[in-house]
Formats: sequence, C-alpha cells, structure tokens
Amino acid sequence: MKISLDWLSEYFDADIPASQIIQALERIGLMVEGREEKEGDVILEIETYSNRPDTLGHLGMARELAAALGLSLKERRWPLSELSTRTADLVDVQIWDDNLCPRYCGALVKGVKVGPSPAWLRKRIESMGLNSINNVVDITNYVLFSTSQPIHAFDLGKVGGAKVIIRRAKKGERLLCLDGTDLTLAPDMLVIADETKPIALAGVIGGQESAVTETTTDVFIESATFDPVSVRKTRKAVGLQTDASYRFERGADIGFAPQAAVMAASLLTAFGGRVCEVPVDVCPLPLKKKGVVLRHRRITDLLGVEVDPDFIQRTFRALGFDIESKQPGIWQVRVPTWRVDIEREADLIEEAARFFGYDNIPAVVPPLQVVDPIPDKIRQTSRQIRPLLFHYGFNEVIDFSFSDAERESLWTTGLEPIEIRNPISIRTSLLRTTLLGGLVETAAWNRNRGLDAIQIFEIGKVYFREEQGFKERLSLGMLSTGMRDEPHWRTGRREADFYALKGTCEALLRQLRYEPFSFERADRPFFEPGSCLALALKEDKLGCLGRVAERIRAALDLKQPVWAAEIDLDLLFGKQPRPFAYQPVAKYPSIIRDVSLLVPRDVAYQDIRQAVEKLRLPILEDVRLIDRYSGESVPQDRISLLFRFVYRHLRKTLLAEEVERAEQQILSQLKRNFGVQLREGGQIDNRTGKN
Amino acid sequence: MKTLESRIGALKTKFDESLAGATDAGALEELRNEFLSRKRGRVTLLFEELKSLPPEEKRSFGRLVNELKAHVQKNLAVSLKGSIRIKSGAKGKLTVIEDDADRDQVDLTLPGETLPWGAPHPVMLFLEEIERIFETMGFSVAEGPEIETDYYNFEALNFPPHHPARDDWDTLYLGENLLLRTHTSPMQVRVMEKHKPPIRIIVPGKVYRREAIDPTHLPMFYQVEGLLVDEGVTFAHLKGTLDLFLKRLLGDKIGTRFRPSFFPFTEPSAEVDISCLICSGRDQACPVCGGTGWKELLGAGMINPQVLKNVNIDPERYSGWAFGLGIERAAMFCYQIADMRTFYENDLRFTRQFFLK
Repeated sequence: MKISLDWLSEYFDADIPASQIIQALERIGLMVEGREEKEGDVILEIETYSNRPDTLGHLGMARELAAALGLSLKERRWPLSELSTRTADLVDVQIWDDNLCPRYCGALVKGVKVGPSPAWLRKRIESMGLNSINNVVDITNYVLFSTSQPIHAFDLGKVGGAKVIIRRAKKGERLLCLDGTDLTLAPDMLVIADETKPIALAGVIGGQESAVTETTTDVFIESATFDPVSVRKTRKAVGLQTDASYRFERGADIGFAPQAAVMAASLLTAFGGRVCEVPVDVCPLPLKKKGVVLRHRRITDLLGVEVDPDFIQRTFRALGFDIESKQPGIWQVRVPTWRVDIEREADLIEEAARFFGYDNIPAVVPPLQVVDPIPDKIRQTSRQIRPLLFHYGFNEVIDFSFSDAERESLWTTGLEPIEIRNPISIRTSLLRTTLLGGLVETAAWNRNRGLDAIQIFEIGKVYFREEQGFKERLSLGMLSTGMRDEPHWRTGRREADFYALKGTCEALLRQLRYEPFSFERADRPFFEPGSCLALALKEDKLGCLGRVAERIRAALDLKQPVWAAEIDLDLLFGKQPRPFAYQPVAKYPSIIRDVSLLVPRDVAYQDIRQAVEKLRLPILEDVRLIDRYSGESVPQDRISLLFRFVYRHLRKTLLAEEVERAEQQILSQLKRNFGVQLREGGQIDNRTGKN
Repeated sequence: MKTLESRIGALKTKFDESLAGATDAGALEELRNEFLSRKRGRVTLLFEELKSLPPEEKRSFGRLVNELKAHVQKNLAVSLKGSIRIKSGAKGKLTVIEDDADRDQVDLTLPGETLPWGAPHPVMLFLEEIERIFETMGFSVAEGPEIETDYYNFEALNFPPHHPARDDWDTLYLGENLLLRTHTSPMQVRVMEKHKPPIRIIVPGKVYRREAIDPTHLPMFYQVEGLLVDEGVTFAHLKGTLDLFLKRLLGDKIGTRFRPSFFPFTEPSAEVDISCLICSGRDQACPVCGGTGWKELLGAGMINPQVLKNVNIDPERYSGWAFGLGIERAAMFCYQIADMRTFYENDLRFTRQFFLK
C-alpha cells in the first residue's frame, strides 16, 4: 500500500517527521518496503496484511499511527450543497440479494461539470501511481485511497429507467467493462443493473456504457458493501483484479459506506454539483457491533509479561474500540466496524501485544522438560542410509520434484504421473515418477563441466497416480559413471561399473539387515536390454539397477556408460529387518578351502550359491567367490570360478574328514545340478601346500 | 601349548646339531630343504600350524617361529659362504637372503592412499545442524506428506475457504482438494491430532509455491517447522527459544528482532529478523539487507486458539507456539550464497565443499 506522508498529514494537527512515522509504523508491524520522494512529498510503500483491509487507505494508516504515537485524529467535515429533491425520488435502488450485498448507499449529484482535476487532486492521484483522468473519476479514487472504501460513479442519464438493481447476473448477460473487456456473465456473479441490463460488475469494475464522460451532468455515487467471497470468486472467474475488488474481497467497512458517498458528493460540489437530499441507504440487515470479552490474566498468560491495564484501555480506545471494565481484570470490548479482523479474544491480545511492543516482551527459554518423543521410523531409517552411501563415495544431490511430459516419456517408468493443475511452466507441469531422470540430468550437468568422477544419490519422493488416488513414495536413486575416484599411483584408475554399484546396494541391505535379498534379471525401458536386475526381498520387487539405456544417454549427450539403481524405500522400510542378535565369537579355528570349479557358462553364480546354501551344512560358515578366470587352460564353454569355503564348528576343532565330507556333498550337488567339475583334476587348495 | 614351545626349542637344537655335522655344500642344501622347503620344511609346517592358533598365541609363538627361521637362515648362509671359502671347488648354491635394505630407499613422501568420500547436500547438512540444536532442547523430528489436502494445508490452520490470506501462499493444485503443501505447518495439525501435549517437535521437509525460478525464489524449497504445546507456554518462551536457536546456528553475535505480522494460524504473529552481519546496516547497497541492517528469516507466533480447538486441544488449558524457517534462505545468509538456484543445480564442486566446514 502506497502512503503519501503529505496526504497522511491531513489527519493530524501537528507535523510529524517522516523518520518518526516510519519508526512508529514499523514497531506495530507496518513495514516500510520502499520510499520515494516526489514533488516535496514522501511516498512510502508499506507492507499490509490480508486481514487488515482498513489499512488500505490513509485514514486507516492514520488511525494506527495515532494509536502508536498517542495522538488524536483530526475530524474532517464534508459539507454538502443540497437540493430539495430527495435522492430516492430520482433513483430507485433495490437490493435483490442481500447476502451478497448487505448495504448499498448512493448519493445523487446534479449539475456536475466534468473536466480536468485541480492541481491538489492530481497530486494525490499521481502520488498513488495513477494517472489523473477527470475530476469525477479522480474523486472516486481519492475517496478509495483516503478511506479504503471503494466507490463508483455512474452517469445517471445512462442508467435505464433510473433504476439501480443489485442482483445476480442472468445466464448469458454481457458487460462491456471500463477497461474494454467484454465479459460474459454467470449467474453466481453479482451485478449492478438498470431496468434491463447489467451496468457494473459489483465490487470489481464498472461498465463502459454507464460511465461518466465529458457530457455527464448527473452523477450517481455508489458506496456499497459486497460479500467478500462473492467478489473474490467473480474477480477470479473474470480474471480482473482492481483496487476495488482487492478491498472488497478483504472486507469493506460496512459502517462507513454512507460517509464515503457523502464525502464524494461533497467533493463534487466544487465542480458545480448540487447534492440531492437524503442519500439512499439500503441496509436490509441490522448492523451489529461485535462484542468480545478480554481478560487481563489471559494477556499475561500468553505473552509472559504483565501489561499495564491502563495502557490496554488507552490503546483500544485510540484504535476506536469501546472498552469497558465489567469486573476487575475483565473487559467488554466492542469492535469498530472497520476491524473485520477481530473476532475473538486472541485477536485483541494480538493488538495489545502489537502496541505494547514485541521488544518489551522478555526472551525466556522454556524450562527443560521430559517430553515423550514422537518417532518417525521411516525418517530414522532413511537417515541411516546416508552415511553408508557417503562411505561408498556417493554424493548427495537434491533435485526438484517436477517433471514434464517429454521427460516422462524419456524415462518411461510406466507409472502415471500426477499433473499440476496450475503449473507455472510446461517444464514443471508434472511430478516426477522416478529419481533416476534427475540423476542422469545431474550427471550430464557435472560431466559437461568437466567432472570425471560422478557418483551421486538422492533420497526423495516420487509421485504417481493410482486408481485409489495419488501416491507419494520415498525412493533412493543412485548413479555412477566415469571414474570412481581420482587416478592414484597405487590404485590405478578405478572405473565405475555395474558390480561396484551392485556392491553398494548389497552392502546397504546387509548393513540394515534387510536379508535375504536376491536379484533377478529384469527388463526396464530405462536400462539397456540385458543389463538390468530387479532387486527382491522375499517375494517383493523393491527396485532395480542396470546400465542406463543408450537412448537416454544420447538425449543428454552423455557419451560414457552410466549405471543407476532405484530402490523403493517405503516398500523396503515396510519390511521387517532381520532382528539383531549377538553371536558369541567362535573359539575354535576355521578351516579354509579354496576350490576351483569349472562351471558351464550358462550357469549363474547366484544359482550355484543358492544350491550350496540349500544344503544347509552346519559347519559351512561362509562361501565367497574370490576369483573368476577364463582362458587357455579352461574349456571354451566353461568358466573357472575360485570359491573360498570357510568351515568351522562352534564347539570343537574340526576334523579334516568332516571338512572333506562337506566338500564332497557340495561338489556332488553342484555336479548333479549344473555339471560343475573340479578344475585341474580335482585339485583342492587347502592352503597348506599339501594336496 | 607348552609343547609347541618345547618343540621349537627341540628343532633349534636339532638344526644346530645337523649344521655342526654338515661338511659340504650338498649337506647344507639338504639341511636347508629339511627346515625351509616351501612345502614340507619343518619351519614351513610350523607356520602352517600357527594359522589355527588364536590371535594372542599366534603372536607369541609366531615370534618364536620367526626367530627359529631367522636363526636357520643366518647360520646356513654363514656356513655356506664359509664352506665355499674353505672347500674351494665345491659347487654351493648361494642362498639369497631377503634383503630389507631397499626399505630405506622407499620414498615416504609419496601420497597416501585414500578412499573416495561422498558428501551430503548442503541443505541437508544445514538441516541436520538445526535438528541437532532442537534435539538438545528435547524436540523430536518427524516428516509429513508433501501431497496435502486443503483441510490440513489451509482450513485447519484457520484459513477460511476463499480467504485472500491464501494468496500469500501461492499454491500448486493437484486436484479439487489436493495440493502440494505450501508450508510444513500442516504437520502441526497432524501431530496435534495424534499426540497429547506436552509436544515438542520440529518438522523438516520440502514445500512448494507457485513461483517462477529466480535468484531468490524457487517453486520448491525446504522449510523446518517448530511446534511446542504445553501448559503455560508464552510468547516470551517463543522469543527465548528462537533467540537461543539462532545464536547457536549463526553465532553469538547475531541479533534478533521480532516484529508484528499476520498468519492465520498464529496470534500474536511475528516475523523474526536477524541482524545483518555483513554491513551491520551501514551499507545502503548491502546485497543482503538492503541497508536496513536486518534480514527477514522466519515467521512465528502463538498458536491460534482456533487451531487448537480444531484438534481438540483445550486452548484455556494449553497454549503453544510455532515457527517456520526457510532453510535455503538461512543457508544463503550463513554462507553468503548469492543465488538460491545454486542449491538445486547439484554441481558437485559446489555441494562437496560444505562437508569441509
């Protein structure tokens, strides 16, 4: 809201320095956001609040200032030069919908000479950033910016049948607005109509046909109160925001409507206007002043400091409230009609605090107290993942949750994306259904800036539409491309690859005890065919990993191979992790056997492993693949896998025969199932140098 | 295991005796094989035996076995050289002594081996700092949904339908009553519906606004909500807590200013500014505070009794306060980051720096 200090001074007897005004306003929360000097005047841009329409005019600001500084407001008088004709005899005002229009006042001014505004009026209008149009229009704006009550001027000669009817629009009715917009009206819109047609859209904008022009002589001033919700809906529907609608949708002062009409009429008398007697005031519903009880104890309890009761009474009176002490410490407060924000005691306490000054309230740390924690299991678990990923060299990134149709069709998740109804741009018109898209884009961004080692992850929501409604799920996305770290004289160049990423996934699940998990070959459009594994825990698919499809890399101009994985954390955390139980450390030595196996190429490692596990050998503590070889000494259709078997008995030292028996079981199982043979004539390295 | 020790002693005696009896290089070579053969040497077998010992014993017996090995190697070498010298002509195989001499020539200034490390995102890092501060004051941390209903995002927070106050929270709508939460405040309602006072909780999370992207505005950003509900909670407590929090987060030198504001769900409401540490209000062109000396950082207030009623908490008995803080804005102030978009470009040269602080 623009406030001219020169204009504001109309309300005070004494001159108040600008600095004092600014300081006082800011103390009560009316922050000065801009300041401009113009023709000896200072124009302030003041931040106002949506619950305080009364501050959208100089009068309201003056009230606040007066209360803050302990000054009194200067009464302004609006003398009329009156005709003996009664307004009601010349204009017929009817309210047909008193819910949407609780009060309609009108003044008829005859013989007005429409012309340019005098200098003082032009200055006022221009100080608000508007262009002066003519004396009548400028006066309506002057009243609006003075009092925050919007008014409108009709050329009575153009109001058919001199009837002013406040009614809902009929279907298909049209209105050519002052700004040139041709509107088709809907039945839920309130209009001002003459005997045949709408002449203004109530509270929003006037019509061109009934507008005041140079030839106008009889001006009908409208000063009304319209239902805020109706004005808001209408102005949204027609897409017009005006100074009037801005105030009406926040709530106009129903008590002030007649005065605003009188004020405008009085100003028009300077241009030859003569005002008809008894302005129209149609107010079908009785006006009630709201009463609210205020307890002194309650103020102290909420603010944490005792405010002097005299100060409270003084402040409320200065703000135009009636305040009466019913009994010690309890007041009956009557709320002025312009304070549409005051409904309850809490609203009054806020006023007391505002004028008492937040600076005068002490800062006290609340006493320490034992409070039951409110646990959030998903959050706690997802926070455990992050340090593990940092450990594996993955950097955390956060991407916007938005997506668009083009990107979604590139990622092809098969999920139905959720649309944003009012997106700010096409690029942000959907919500993402995967984290992987953003990760690939981030990889491309970093690659384009010369980064070699790109290992990134994001923990965040993905969103999609299902039959039952909208879903948001917590997801983990990981991506690895280029080098895994900088080249080093000892480690050489370690490049990102599938197994490095898979290992990170496995480590995560193991460390969080989500076991046993397994991988299955899968096909996802995001990944290169044949490069993708689905991750499963028990029967449920939790995610997948693989090599990012060529077409996606091409779309982002990423030349190097990229590996990525995505895991549904909501699904994962919904599973019960293996319970943690302490295991006593084994006292007896283990026996380690490294065994080279010739395995047909079409047999998967995971199958071999599962076959061994299925034997449930009690002394087999661990199996791990420690080497993999194919070459001259290995038949073409086979591959040599070097397994390390660790045997241990928990209660005694193992005998060689026991290990050999277990070993034979394993070998015969693998031979039977997969045709696996021992390499080099059945040599078993027992790591002693003996065969 | 006394036996192992005595066996080692016995072996040493046996070696010494055999060595004394060895007369030529061939005998020495035989002796070397007997003790040091890589497959069946007596010392080699002892090493194998060591493997099955518990670690503590391994160490002490390992030393004994190593001593034995060194003894054997040394004496064989000396005798071999001697035998060559004394009995010229005999073809003796020179035992190669594993020489540690070049250990002294290793360049210790070569760079050490490090593991690659991953870094958290700066927003998360900053958020964790905030969480830690509140956790020390007995607050829990919980998150809530990003897709919200109109009820939780607005109505329960005392925004009547069609109220212009809603315009201050430019909303992205997904459906008739569904939207992307514009603030973390819906969790106030969700938490208070489920839990009885006393409540102390903070709620971090993403929030969304219908804003075009520019250096100081994003359509998605992080907020953290704070909520305290109990008997006897006052505005003074709100001031005290936020003052302490901001000093712990940004340093003791920071000044705070509370000024009246309006939020439908708090009353009285306040905006909290922090003093500008860059110019202290002296620079009219200060990019941080614009010369006012203050930077707006968060919104706060006493919970509106209507909100308490909406969740069936008796406002005559309980009171509470809430605040909401924009994380990026605070981090920008803290680290002097000029452009908010930097956070979501995810340039690793940017994000990885903050881990070092």
